Amino acid sequence: MPTEPDGAHTSAAELNRTQEAILAAYAELIEELGTDDVSFRLIARRAGVGERTVFRNYQTRVDLLLATAAWIERTVFAREESRSIFDMPLAIREAMERYDRRPELAHVVAETTMRGVSGSAPSPRREHLDAMLRMEVPSLADIERRAIVAELAHIDSAATWVALRRELHMNRRDIADAAAWAAEAVLDPIRGRVG
Amino acid sequence: MADTVDTPTAILASAAVALRDRTFDDISYRSLGDAVGVSERTVYRQFPTRSHLLEGLAGWIEATEFPLPAFVTIPQFQVAARDRFHAFDAAPAFAFVCARAASISPTGEAEPSFLTRTIEGMLQAANPRLNARDLQRATAALLYFASAQFWARMRTSFDMDASETSDVFDRTVERALAALPAMSPAGG
Repeated sequence: MPTEPDGAHTSAAELNRTQEAILAAYAELIEELGTDDVSFRLIARRAGVGERTVFRNYQTRVDLLLATAAWIERTVFAREESRSIFDMPLAIREAMERYDRRPELAHVVAETTMRGVSGSAPSPRREHLDAMLRMEVPSLADIERRAIVAELAHIDSAATWVALRRELHMNRRDIADAAAWAAEAVLDPIRGRVG
Repeated sequence: MADTVDTPTAILASAAVALRDRTFDDISYRSLGDAVGVSERTVYRQFPTRSHLLEGLAGWIEATEFPLPAFVTIPQFQVAARDRFHAFDAAPAFAFVCARAASISPTGEAEPSFLTRTIEGMLQAANPRLNARDLQRATAALLYFASAQFWARMRTSFDMDASETSDVFDRTVERALAALPAMSPAGG
């Protein structure tokens, strides 16, 4: 996975090559073994680094898991940013299909966003949603804009894919459909209020 | 512990107590065994992986701490969800466990939950001639927005309390119903 030197990723710190190798290795192993309960030793071996190097970069398993989830979102589940808020249902449909193709990684991302730990920010795209709404529907009251952002942020997540698969046993097509439908419903009141 | 409580239940009850001063990840099988008076191996036999323990614990918490009040109509459902969001606020450590358990790779094949069936039945009663596709869409939306996962995201990402979260939830319900053919919110 090539690292972009100009920091095209929107996340926090830039990763060095060792960290990238560790996170990529952990993600690979999670997918192969179907569990995140993998020893640091095995991760180190797969990454081609010493076990101590892993510990130095990620003191606890939780640190490692959070960093890996963020990396997975940025790389495996990377997407082109939407330009219009009204494109979100389409982006969400595509995201659900992506999650469905890599279910183990989708679970990792979903679970880490639900830990209530300060290091895990469950809604990284929140600012972008807010910016699009301010630009396209400037007449929107703060409270309504906040609600729309919250609703779309909730729908546009790996947790959505997991919930619909776990609770309703829906298949890829139905999950994509239901998520897109919900996003359209959220946007219905403002379709005729642009500019 | 009363003699009538079986071992897995005793273990889960003990884990729930441990959540008061530790995160789930810091609760060891050994400490659970000690607290209940069984061996660590017994705990592993009941919960072969930590995912099993997480799911079991969430189930126990949902049943004992967060039962969703009964509802038949859509307005009743909204009140029930609001009440439960407030219950989550009052016991956030428990609520995050439920949110997390709902997000992991399932350890077994589960039946659709009672809540799923109830929401589906509620929507069908409000519009008996609703097509299956729209019924599935609306059931999914209502279920997912009434969930601990929604509460968790509103809290950690948007700093919302239960009242604000409930307001967003109510708005979502309105929007979902408005997207369906001729739904009556007061139906049922």
